[in-house]
Amino acid sequence: MILHYKCPGCGSDMGFDAESGELSCEACGRHENIENYPEELKSVRFSEDEANEYHCENCGAVLITEAETAATSCSFCGAGVVIADRLSGTLAPAKVIPFTISKEEATKAFQKWCRKGLLTPKGFMNADRIKSLTGMYIPFWLFDLNSKVQVNATCTKVRTYEQGDYIYTETKYYDAFRDINLDYVKIPVDASEKMNDQLMDKLEPYPYDQLKDFKTPYLAGYIAEKYNYTDEELLPRAKDKISGYIESYIQSTLTGYHSVNYTNKHIDTRNKNSDYVLLPVWMVSYDYNNSEYTFAMNGETGKIVGKPPISTSKVAMWFSGITAGTFLALKCVSLMMGGGFW
Amino acid sequence: MSRIFLQKRGLFFLMIVFLMLLPLAMPVKAENFDRSQYIYDFAHLLTDQEAADLQNLAKELGEARETAFIILTVSGTDGKDIVQYVEDFYDENAPGYDQPHGNTAILAIDMQERDIYLAGFKKAEQYLGDGRLDQIRENITPDLSDGHYFQAFLAFITTSHEYMGYEPSDGSSSDGYSGYGPGESSDGYNGNDSGADPENIFFQWWFQLIASIIVAAVIVAIMAYRSGGRVTVNAGTYMNSDQSRVLNKYDNFVRQTVTKQRKPSNNTNSGGGGGITGGGHSHSGSSGKF
Ligand SMILES: [Zn+2]
Ligand SMILES: [Zn+2]
Repeated sequence: MILHYKCPGCGSDMGFDAESGELSCEACGRHENIENYPEELKSVRFSEDEANEYHCENCGAVLITEAETAATSCSFCGAGVVIADRLSGTLAPAKVIPFTISKEEATKAFQKWCRKGLLTPKGFMNADRIKSLTGMYIPFWLFDLNSKVQVNATCTKVRTYEQGDYIYTETKYYDAFRDINLDYVKIPVDASEKMNDQLMDKLEPYPYDQLKDFKTPYLAGYIAEKYNYTDEELLPRAKDKISGYIESYIQSTLTGYHSVNYTNKHIDTRNKNSDYVLLPVWMVSYDYNNSEYTFAMNGETGKIVGKPPISTSKVAMWFSGITAGTFLALKCVSLMMGGGFW
Repeated sequence: MSRIFLQKRGLFFLMIVFLMLLPLAMPVKAENFDRSQYIYDFAHLLTDQEAADLQNLAKELGEARETAFIILTVSGTDGKDIVQYVEDFYDENAPGYDQPHGNTAILAIDMQERDIYLAGFKKAEQYLGDGRLDQIRENITPDLSDGHYFQAFLAFITTSHEYMGYEPSDGSSSDGYSGYGPGESSDGYNGNDSGADPENIFFQWWFQLIASIIVAAVIVAIMAYRSGGRVTVNAGTYMNSDQSRVLNKYDNFVRQTVTKQRKPSNNTNSGGGGGITGGGHSHSGSSGKF
């Protein structure tokens, strides 16, 4: 089933407006509140034999979609459409963070970011070769994890003191135990096969106070995808994301010792809850020197990630500049310490 | 060309000072002491040519530091301690770069006792404190032991000259004095040593350059790495701190061990620092054997 939003006033297409957070009609300027929009997808069941061809409700043209596409724009008439089949039942997102950065703002922010790059080539800094800027709702699982940790460790405290002609080294051994409960909430793991995990991890954090109950109109005019991986499949990655945090927490409870040797470390992490959510990302595709660069921008905070090209001449410039500056500074320090300038 | 000019000018200057100070020369034997002679090879360790070379070098480098670099070799010190001998030498002969009892650095060796003593007076006391003299002595002792006297004396003059190019650190000794030599402002330095160690690796230009290159490489690498955006979440971002805590813990003392180690002893074969001569001149010093 295809959802399509027609303006009740003039009959034109409506799309989600990042500025107001409402559905808006470009033709007559009418706004429709989304939060009160009736949503019954969760309960709706569609026939199992999912159609593999959809037609635009607006103009009747065939919609070009991939298997994951849950929302897109008609390539023929431009109307934003939502494929309800792919957002219902188990595929129904619980929450969504709507875009707050509009396409124009995203373009400007990206251009500004390009100019700020200290090592990016001049030609790149103009940011005039943006090939495409696509607003995408990326499927994420938000995990609430609970870890029960028990550790035993042999720890030492070392003290040295002098007496007579001797230096004494006193080592005290302790048997230490810690029973720790750790709760981590809403750890985001992207469930899209296409998206680079490292890139997505760098886009964090998302402001969770902006999480809204999912309503299909939020997707109008954007691309959305359904998840490729279930929460069960992604649980190991979620655990992996917090393993470093757990280690550092354990260490923080064993301070005051000179050495800590773990004799037993038991970490049991369980998934308490996982929510399927859609998070907003602007994908920027950029042409420079005949190669394409991809950047991602957090659609709520505006944080940009992605590897820009690096200019060797700028690297050389910074390198020699810092070398000369440091050298001069060291010379001055040595002069002050009485070592002479040369 | 300019060096010759400088030498000439220095010589001229020296002569003027000589003429001015001649009537004032009070020490008894000082009149028949040639203050422009720097090499006193009483033990005959040098050839005439070597002595002449050292004399020229001491004269040239001495001008740069306004200091008399004196080499003194003896066979026996009439039963005196070598420190005593050097102090008396200074008191009686009143050496100095431009005035009696002036800026003087003395290297003295006694072939009988195989004693070596280095002393610094006036400006040389400050710039060549006990610590720096120790360093110089340690540098040249192997050459002396091997009988390479010329090399050792050469090294003494050049190293002293070099070290005097580094500011002494302002120590906190009490025997302040003023006025050593014209052209040198009397900003009341005092003699104690522990100046910046000129041999310190930190003062070597190549070390500074390498350090600078490493710093720059690290910074640029970080810049390049960060250009792709960096992770801005940390351990606290997703932790629910209300529910996260240590539920139970203990730290039980089990046992203790004590090991002991003898303190490292400080007896290197050096000894004796500076002192004050019978004539009341304070000086730095470093003595040892070779
Ligand atoms: Zn309208
Ligand atoms: Zn259409």
